[in-house]
Amino acid sequence: MTGFNAGLRVQIKVIQALTSRELMTRFGRENIGFLWIMVEPLLFAGLVGLVWSFIKAPDSSGINIFAFVMTGYVPLTFLRHSFGRSANIFVANSSLLYHRQVKVLDFIIVRVLIELVGAMMAYIFAGIILAFLGLFPFPADIGSLVLGWAIYVFFVFALCTILAPLSEVSEVVEKLVPISIYISIPFSGVFNLAAWLPPNVRDALMWSPLVSGMELMRYGAFGSAVTPYYDIPKALGLSLVCLLVGLILCRRVRRTMTVT
Amino acid sequence: MIACRDLHMDYRSGHVTKHVLKGVSFAINPRDRIGLLGRNGAGKSTLIRLIGGVEMPTSGKVVRRMTCSWPLGFTGGFQGSLTGYDNARFIARIYDKSYAEMRDFIEDFTELGSNLKMPVKIYSSGMRARLAFALSLAIEFECYLIDEVIMVGDKNFQNKCKAEFFEKRTDRALLLASHSLEMVKQYCNRAIVLHDGKATLYEDVAQAVAIYEKL
Repeated sequence: MTGFNAGLRVQIKVIQALTSRELMTRFGRENIGFLWIMVEPLLFAGLVGLVWSFIKAPDSSGINIFAFVMTGYVPLTFLRHSFGRSANIFVANSSLLYHRQVKVLDFIIVRVLIELVGAMMAYIFAGIILAFLGLFPFPADIGSLVLGWAIYVFFVFALCTILAPLSEVSEVVEKLVPISIYISIPFSGVFNLAAWLPPNVRDALMWSPLVSGMELMRYGAFGSAVTPYYDIPKALGLSLVCLLVGLILCRRVRRTMTVT
Repeated sequence: MIACRDLHMDYRSGHVTKHVLKGVSFAINPRDRIGLLGRNGAGKSTLIRLIGGVEMPTSGKVVRRMTCSWPLGFTGGFQGSLTGYDNARFIARIYDKSYAEMRDFIEDFTELGSNLKMPVKIYSSGMRARLAFALSLAIEFECYLIDEVIMVGDKNFQNKCKAEFFEKRTDRALLLASHSLEMVKQYCNRAIVLHDGKATLYEDVAQAVAIYEKL
């Protein structure tokens, strides 16, 4: 057990060091730096919400369109960035693999972690601003909100552990990453509630942990204004299977990787 | 002790497979100074990378019972877009050393001055070598893996390396891949000749050098 604890301590150190290095190379020392990670999804959600509020009639459920788009779009941005940043990270960071304690999995953890912190900050910041304008309620059920986020993040991370090693061995996968993001939009519950769908479609969508996560988040935020549909055992089971496949792939790819 | 047990290494590119190492076994004991000789492409760097854990052997095993540096060579170990100081901070963190002490040591050892505030990608190979050596010396490994790189340094740097490795840290082990036979003869107590994917260890360095020169 001491071996495990020592190893864990080293990995935490490595993740801390990689995180600050990543932030430094990505945002630089000048500029508003880290704030960009928060402003960017916010601008996007704001503009999309603005366009939508012109072209769509207000929903009978009484949820404000800006609030609805924001709660869908910020997690989607997190997914999009996490997938995008997972492509080709092993080779891009390979000079750091000279240090034995740096593992390829650390690269994925760090990237997803940074995106998560940015998305969380954007979510909270946007929520506060919308609440100030009277467009966003105080979260009805914070437990559901956090649980929804946790399921969403876990599944995205599990998919990243698959995408990252595959993008190293196959150029096709690398090119497919942006497409897979667009394909995932209808299955991620971004622009609709499961309650709006016919029951058979809804049942099929329960196979998507993203939908379960999103429904829980929306229920947590808007409370009884939405009827959530989710399947936690399915979501966790599927995520665990993906994570297992991903870990095996990471290990296999690392073993045969040429480090330059 | 560091032991290599029957290391095989293949590199594959498309349908072509190159067998670089075909069963290499030997051990590095504490205080060993091992010279690694071999012609270009014999697999010296590959062997050093396997011992350093940068790449994994196709089959066989590396057992590490002492702490071992990363391969100190022309490439690797640094993030080119970051400054010398930032790289030092990163390395201090992941090896759990105090950054302040490390900074003082590298400023003193590398004599790079304000260059340490510049990105490592614009460093010359000599400057990189200075930084890599300074960092690894500050961490105090039990075994140092050196891939050629001492030779790119100027006289002043070579003298510093000699003082650090051969006068101050005589209790450390060293694996030194080099084409400088003078250096190997002067400082190593054993030598390995790599040829045709096989490694032969000689207790007599002069004998190893003689065999290497005939290859």
